[in-house]
Amino acid sequence: MSAKYLAQGDLSAWLGALAQGRRVLVPVRENGAVVFRPYGPGTKPVLTRQADSPPKESVFPSTERLMEFSYSKDAENLGKVALDIKETVNAPATVVFGGRPCDARGFTVFDRVYDTKTIRDPYYAERRASTLFVTLACDTPETTCFCNSVGSSPVDADGSDVLLTPVDGGWLVEAVSERGKALLDAPALKDATAAAQDQAKAAKEAAEAAMPPAWDAAPAAAKLLEKFDDMGFWDDVSAKCISCGACTYLCPTCYCFTVTDERSGMKGERIRTWDTCMSFQFTLEASGHNPRPTKAHRLKNRVGHKFSYYPDIHKGPIACCGCGRCIKLCPVSVDIREIVRLAMELPTATAGKP
Amino acid sequence: MPILDELKAAIAKRLPELDVVIGWGKGFDALHHTPVFITSEADLDKLVLGPLSVQNLATYLTRYPKTKKIGVVVKGCDSRSVVQLLQEKLINRENVVVFGFPCEGVVDLEKVKRAFEDQGMEAARVSEASFQGDRCTLTSGGKAGSLPMADLWADKCNRCQYHDAVISDEFVGQRLERKAEDAYADVAAFEAKPLAERQAFWQEQMSRCIRCYACRNACPLCVCRDQCIAQTREPNWVSQRTGVEEKFMFQMIHASHLAGRCTECGECERACPVGIPILLLKRKNNKEILELFDYRAGIDPEAKPPLLAFKVEEEKINERGW
Amino acid sequence: MTTMMNPYLPEIATVLEVIQETPNIKTFRVVLNNKDRMAKFKYEPGQVGQLSVFGVGEATFVINSPPTRMEYLQFSVMLTGEVTSMLHTLSPGDQVGVRAPLGNWFPYESMKGKNIVFVGGGIGMAPLRTLLLFMLDNRKDYKNISLLYGARSPEDMAFKYDLPDWSTRKDMTTVLTIDREAPGWEHKVGLIPNVLLEMNPSPKKTVAITCGPPIMIKFTLQALKKLGFEDDQIVTTLEKRMKCGVGICGRCNIGTKYVCVDGPVFTYAQLKELPNEL
Repeated sequence: MSAKYLAQGDLSAWLGALAQGRRVLVPVRENGAVVFRPYGPGTKPVLTRQADSPPKESVFPSTERLMEFSYSKDAENLGKVALDIKETVNAPATVVFGGRPCDARGFTVFDRVYDTKTIRDPYYAERRASTLFVTLACDTPETTCFCNSVGSSPVDADGSDVLLTPVDGGWLVEAVSERGKALLDAPALKDATAAAQDQAKAAKEAAEAAMPPAWDAAPAAAKLLEKFDDMGFWDDVSAKCISCGACTYLCPTCYCFTVTDERSGMKGERIRTWDTCMSFQFTLEASGHNPRPTKAHRLKNRVGHKFSYYPDIHKGPIACCGCGRCIKLCPVSVDIREIVRLAMELPTATAGKP
Repeated sequence: MPILDELKAAIAKRLPELDVVIGWGKGFDALHHTPVFITSEADLDKLVLGPLSVQNLATYLTRYPKTKKIGVVVKGCDSRSVVQLLQEKLINRENVVVFGFPCEGVVDLEKVKRAFEDQGMEAARVSEASFQGDRCTLTSGGKAGSLPMADLWADKCNRCQYHDAVISDEFVGQRLERKAEDAYADVAAFEAKPLAERQAFWQEQMSRCIRCYACRNACPLCVCRDQCIAQTREPNWVSQRTGVEEKFMFQMIHASHLAGRCTECGECERACPVGIPILLLKRKNNKEILELFDYRAGIDPEAKPPLLAFKVEEEKINERGW
Repeated sequence: MTTMMNPYLPEIATVLEVIQETPNIKTFRVVLNNKDRMAKFKYEPGQVGQLSVFGVGEATFVINSPPTRMEYLQFSVMLTGEVTSMLHTLSPGDQVGVRAPLGNWFPYESMKGKNIVFVGGGIGMAPLRTLLLFMLDNRKDYKNISLLYGARSPEDMAFKYDLPDWSTRKDMTTVLTIDREAPGWEHKVGLIPNVLLEMNPSPKKTVAITCGPPIMIKFTLQALKKLGFEDDQIVTTLEKRMKCGVGICGRCNIGTKYVCVDGPVFTYAQLKELPNEL
């Protein structure tokens, strides 16, 4: 299918059409923060900057019910209690509109873990299948953007279904996946002129050129492992960290969770909620032992997982999309770029294993 | 001598007796400062000071063993946290060296972001920023713009009564000895709204919360941290569900634990990545504390916080009058 | 049934029997309520399962009955936290959830034709029990089998019902030890690593399998090295806080290895390759 054109004035018409029978999530401003919310008549999407919260909730909700359970007493024998459990997969048809390439690409990091040859997480997989991404290509980087250093670009279509590129008076609209094509069949979209296509091509090149110079993060995989026992290094780079979870919860690629039960009387639910490796409780064992007892150990795991363990396990890809939210929104400006670069540049103190 | 140079000199003088001195350094862009940890004289070059020195560094004091000798640079508001920590014996006076300076105030980066956005500029794409006199000048995307500082100060600075650190071992520069009024007008205005409106307000605000606990961990006085009731299963008081009820429940716990202790540094609100105005909850408590006990937290190291003390007859609480 | 099951959904099982092993360890024998699934249930010695008490949560335990004895699945639970406290209140007939089998298992194929030395401490005997019973049920596949099992005191010794058989069998050697003298104790007294050195097993064509508290493991490894065991002749099994059990949720990793799927069984040689985060 050839590319389409969406005039700025037709944006709400297209959003309205997309919202027929679907949930459409768009970035909106709320008290200064830009977050994804369901689109409704009158909703004004904020398309001028990256949203503060990524659209992670669309496919990976902060709370997901895994199953319901109920106990029932036997009327004949009250000491006998039966247990019933019911799987609760819930995957509403969704379009995420106006995210950035990094936002959509984040889920490709999930995919390699949640839907593989040996394991399929049905809650994730079903939502993934029912969610489409209409992504807005970036034009100018923010000071925290580094997607080009982690194998991506400000116009990367990986993980997206439709890509919008700003052109005069509107956007060039391209289907970048099979399922994205269906979204282009809308009256609000006109066939793109050759001029618009040329403009979009130039805009993409300009966006890539506007990025700060890329640095090669691949050598970090080995360097971070080499520094595993160099706790002096980790103490230094984690000194200002306050151990909150903002970096991980705002990260489009952080996928860790916990599972807890909620019971009320004879029934309840087992839920999965976002969890963060920056928390002391994350690895705390019932015995009181904690393999990651300090913030230095935990920051090491966050950086290590993204730039070393994950690329090692999945043969290449870095578990970071370079969106920069963990830097920009960190209360104390912990900068993962700096940590990775220091890990690659600084000599490793030789610390033997005890 | 510029204040920064005086500060460097003061730190250099005390550094030999200290394990570390915590100050501010340049951050990842022209609009950010970030905490720096000074352990040698060479590190002094990293120090900066100004309206971007937003973080309350007192929050790190309880993250070190009490026996470590720590120096900390404080704004007036931050110094109150140090006092409160001393009042609660959470730090040892002899192991903390406080570096004070006359603080003109810090900016609210949200205000900066919005004000420049109105001029068609993105603060997130800043290349240069300067704070000269009463103007802030920003360059972003090749455009330059200028705004009066009056529009950019953090709210807490506009009502600041403690520009000069209330406690310090080394004070550099001339004391400002300025005092604004703070009659909790913001709290009163909010309280004047109908209940349904207030409820709707918090519903919307809290629905944005991602439960990252940046508010808790940035707080210099929220010291349970790793053992926080919000995440433990034993006891299991707060569900891990991320509904508004649970999020608000946590904020109620947070605010209650800070009643009569909160020094209103505003770090909870500043740290929030999704802009939830949670300082308002703590100010509501502080307003009550002020009315009931005529007490402001973190002013006098020798004072007993009213909720940590007991009086048989409270002057303003009619306990046995019915 | 779909080709790929929901990995989070437990099977409902009934507690058949509860055994008070020690003051703080109870053993639960459970069967899956679905008879067909129970009949077809397959696992390997050393694999673990998640036991659920719905309303409280799940925790991981090794299946310590061997796959050669399928009347029930046996889990031994030391009282430590929230889930184990609730498990300890269960009685026969109570319903639990079981997600199993999870993780890897002891490399018993490669141990065939070799001498086997088991060194277990406290609750660490549980995973060894599975393999020991499995080997006894396939006795001809293995050469000499010896067991050193230690606990703090006689009361802390679990699996007392197994001990008479293990102590009297002609086809294995059993040494029991406790940390300090106790009235009526007729076996060894002394710390496991010291007793192991006394036993002086030859490393020749031998595999040592050890599990126990971290401090015991540490000194047992040193003793085994002293006895001349190579790193790949020593096998152990790890414990970590786990949630999903299927390599997703992100907390049990040691660098690139997830204890829930790449473990819990590792040779000492493999452990040494891992980053230091036990």
